[in-house]
Amino acid sequence: MAQEVERYRKPTRILHWVHSGAFVVLFLTGLIIFIPGLSILAQDSITRIIHRIAVVLFVAAPLIYIPMNLKSTMRGIKEAFTWGSGDLEWLKAAPRYYFLNDEEAMPPQGHMNTGQKLWWLMVLVLGAVFFITGLIMWAFKEAAPGAVLEWMVLLHDVAFIAAGCMFFVHIYLSVIHPLMKGSLNSMTKGKVSAEYAKSHHGKWYREIS
Amino acid sequence: MAEKAILFDATRCTACRGCQVACKQWNENDEEIPTVENGVQSKNWGSYENPPDLSPSTWLKIEFREVERMGGVDWLFTRRACMHCTDAACVRVCPNGSLYHHELGFVAYNKDTCTGCGYCIDACPFDVPRSDRNLLTGSAKMDKCTLCTTPGLDRIAEGWQPMCVKTCPPKALQFDNRSTLVSEGMQRVNTLKSKGYTNAYLYGANELGGLHVMYVLDDSAEAYGLPADPQVSGSTIAWQNVIQPLGWALGGLTLLGLGLNYLVARQTKVEQEQPVEKED
Repeated sequence: MAQEVERYRKPTRILHWVHSGAFVVLFLTGLIIFIPGLSILAQDSITRIIHRIAVVLFVAAPLIYIPMNLKSTMRGIKEAFTWGSGDLEWLKAAPRYYFLNDEEAMPPQGHMNTGQKLWWLMVLVLGAVFFITGLIMWAFKEAAPGAVLEWMVLLHDVAFIAAGCMFFVHIYLSVIHPLMKGSLNSMTKGKVSAEYAKSHHGKWYREIS
Repeated sequence: MAEKAILFDATRCTACRGCQVACKQWNENDEEIPTVENGVQSKNWGSYENPPDLSPSTWLKIEFREVERMGGVDWLFTRRACMHCTDAACVRVCPNGSLYHHELGFVAYNKDTCTGCGYCIDACPFDVPRSDRNLLTGSAKMDKCTLCTTPGLDRIAEGWQPMCVKTCPPKALQFDNRSTLVSEGMQRVNTLKSKGYTNAYLYGANELGGLHVMYVLDDSAEAYGLPADPQVSGSTIAWQNVIQPLGWALGGLTLLGLGLNYLVARQTKVEQEQPVEKED
């Protein structure tokens, strides 16, 4: 049996799956009013009620997680905002890697690689945009002027488009990409093989071993 | 079919509000009369206007305005209801086509399929659509004047006049072909001008591509509480004509790119799994 290292602790994994489950519901209930052919499903406000139940979960999950895991939260947020020259190199080398499996030019990565950082950064930034615009549309639908509400819908939509596209990429790279193995494992069982850690997250592997 | 319209001659209106009552009666929009027995406290808010605002069950309302002009005080009456725009912001933003243009040009809607999103309420340049919204669940249904085309209560299909027009005692309201009413309105405005009402104006002839409710005014639109230059808002256009098509393009390109990557990467995998290939 190959040696394994822990990549995501149990609370982090639970947060991930609760949060992503809520996200999928939010995404689909949002998507159907974006697609005219499907938006008939939104009649009688049914999908809005589902959207609201999901968003409570979506917001509550991290709010419960953060105070219980303050240290790793701070570490994670710091990581999302720490960018260096290695990240630029990674982005340049990434196409050759993801198309041709050419790992040569890929700089060694920390706990998160540049792509993961980008996704994580987006989760933080777009999460805030979704939350603020959504809250205004929920709580201030009667009180706020129509012009403000229209801009909130527009911004919510922009965030939806950006998050939706990156969500496709996220799912694709973790589950569908023919050359990627192990990353799904890291979020289900929490562990990856030492070999995987060495080749994908060299800097991080050196730190922990 | 020739487009139909309503012409409201504000100079003939006596604010009897018969139209309000007839509208409610025909469209079955009863409202609880505010009495103590009904549990609703009536309140004097210093106006003859009643009820205070449009609502899901008040599709038409006459507004009262006192203005000083020509050395005296005049009482101006404005008909507040859906203007049935040709370029209707509400139709643009409705996500599932519940709001649509009737074949005679009016803005009709299918209440059954309404999602209650309220985008029409935010987008309307005349602040007309209303809904009863449950703020917690967000469930709502929009309501507004249908120009008497509500299914089952469709007077127009029967060849009858809208209820408000039918009931108007001073004939301040007319219903006819839109083009007929435009020329009639113009004539009326010219008469008013010759009588010294220099600001007289036919409101709705060109606004928003032409309204299907036009007003003969003996003063400026503002004096009657109407927006002088009603527009579909910039955010409506940015959202509908830029952001949404951009969303389709970006979403499509992302999926296309991922599909392409899948094909190439699978090929790479097949090649590299052949044992003769170079090491690592």
